[in-house]
Amino acid sequence: MKKVFPILLAVLFVTPILSEPLWAKVYIDIRSPSFRKFPIAISPFKPPVSPNQDLKLGERATEILNSDLTICGFFALIDPRTFENTVRTLAPAPTPGTGQIPGGLTSELIDFRSWANVGAEALVMGEVTYKDRSLSLEARLYDVVQKELIVGKRYIGEITDLSRMVHRFADEVVFALTGEQGIFQTKIVYVSAATGNKEIYLMDFDGRNASQVTRHQSICLSPRFSPDGKKIVFTSYKAGNPDLYLRDLRTGEERRVSHFPGLNISPAWSPDGQRLALTLSKDGNAEIYAMRPDGSELLRLTHHPGIDVSPTWSPEGKKIAFVSNRGGNPQIYIAEANGENVQRLTFEGNYNTHPTWSPRGERLAFDAFLDGNHNICTIQPNGSNLRILTANLNRCETPSWSPDGRHLVFSSNREGGPHIYLMDAEGTRIKRLTFQRGGDTYPNWSPRFKE
Amino acid sequence: MLKKSSVWLVVFISIVAIAFIASGCAKKQVVKEEAAAKPVVEAKKVEPPAPAPTPAAPKEEAKVEAPAPAPAAPREEAKREAAPRAAERPAFIDLQGLRIQFAFDDYNLSSKAKENLEKIASWMSKNPGAKVQVEGHTCDIGTAEYNLALGERRANSAKKYLEGLGVGSAKISTISYGEERPLLANSDEANRSKNRRDEFVQGR
Repeated sequence: MKKVFPILLAVLFVTPILSEPLWAKVYIDIRSPSFRKFPIAISPFKPPVSPNQDLKLGERATEILNSDLTICGFFALIDPRTFENTVRTLAPAPTPGTGQIPGGLTSELIDFRSWANVGAEALVMGEVTYKDRSLSLEARLYDVVQKELIVGKRYIGEITDLSRMVHRFADEVVFALTGEQGIFQTKIVYVSAATGNKEIYLMDFDGRNASQVTRHQSICLSPRFSPDGKKIVFTSYKAGNPDLYLRDLRTGEERRVSHFPGLNISPAWSPDGQRLALTLSKDGNAEIYAMRPDGSELLRLTHHPGIDVSPTWSPEGKKIAFVSNRGGNPQIYIAEANGENVQRLTFEGNYNTHPTWSPRGERLAFDAFLDGNHNICTIQPNGSNLRILTANLNRCETPSWSPDGRHLVFSSNREGGPHIYLMDAEGTRIKRLTFQRGGDTYPNWSPRFKE
Repeated sequence: MLKKSSVWLVVFISIVAIAFIASGCAKKQVVKEEAAAKPVVEAKKVEPPAPAPTPAAPKEEAKVEAPAPAPAAPREEAKREAAPRAAERPAFIDLQGLRIQFAFDDYNLSSKAKENLEKIASWMSKNPGAKVQVEGHTCDIGTAEYNLALGERRANSAKKYLEGLGVGSAKISTISYGEERPLLANSDEANRSKNRRDEFVQGR
């Protein structure tokens, strides 16, 4: 277990460099339809002075921050080639003997006009130091126009915490400029057949730091994060039958919470974490049920001789959407959370599966089999505005929303695999996240972790 | 899987061979021809003088790999079963060869599927101790979750039909593997159609 979740266990010390004002100016109104990408420059992070040059800590920090700010879609990153000279002229030399950079990040030393000239409205500068097995990352976000510090943080931890520190700072940048929480410290749980068996894996939202969670040597499927991010529930054939397991990610403790004869599959947490919707076939046919996460208080929600499977809850927990073939082929249906008032949602195409409600509730993503290909689509809960997000990308399946609802992860075999991909909720900016052999499927995006 | 089947083939042939010697008559062949065609070489090892039970048999000699000596258990089982009333009942059935196919997103039984299920039911009625597990499988179109439910429907279709033919429900169990255990890689439509199937496994 120790291997699986060291990141949550590790203690990271954060020092705010300047106390932030209680009120915060919003630089980017990301909810506005006319929002324009905010031009930001990331000055290459200063690496620790020898002897740790080979670890490329500064380069890695810059690269991770670059990737985070690019993925989130709020920023236009200024091409570093346009400010090579600016950086060079500003780099203060380390004080001889000590290896310390004197006041390298203070605003008095920054030539804001040069940064404005390359088009930047905000600037990130940072430096990494590694001494006595302690890694420290200091980073500051400046308003180039006002020539002032917006936010500055210093993180102290272990050498393995580098990406975590950068993700935390990236969250600070997004929060400072948009007023919304970032997603850079979230994770993705998924199924990989890298070992030859389908096991559950966990990785950072950007594909870094992948680690194997289960060792069932069987078939594990459909992992789903609890709303607090501390647990996952999934199906495994470990005991011969597709049963449902609940696993504490921190302790590694695992319990079989549903093992009725037949299927115990397709779990979905209610938004408050108090209920699990799932599919059971114990009554002779695949139906949707709900129960407490420990398996108690089982309640049947659907009553139809067709297949009912793959439930998902609306964000306020009042409705469920699910797949049913009651109309002759698999389509998405919506019902009250108690199973009443079933309404068909999808009518286009004859094979629509895997609905997943967006965090703000304004649309559902699902998987449509159209013209010989699986595509990720979205539709509004009233059945309007059907959109195909992944046309001509071969097979794209099993979408899962980021906690801010601005991105989706999914599996696709567009480059063999299948592998896990990330894209924004409009279907653009697709980024491949996994590269191991064997096939990666069923990604599920974590909530934001509460500290 | 292969090893297991070749062991069963050895067992089968020895029984057939003994049956032929014992009865000297051509009892109606219950088991499918494909099953009987290959394993004559193995049969010879067990019972060298046995006459070939099917016309196609001797040709197969070169192709069939000589198997490692059959493990003790199945051989004993074969003897036990074959000894008293071997001529009256076929103790072996090629369940693998009786797998049944389904159309896309469908769990209705074709006439060919029903034919195979009738063979299994008839074998089970003659082997009161026999139990069969029906495994439902799908191709990889659609999500794994829907396919688990579809696979279960396919398994249940077979189970219900067997029950209709008089097989006790306690003797048939079902499990769905959905798209998780394809017979062939889901690389083209021909392979996918072969993956939409029920497999029958003895025991449990």
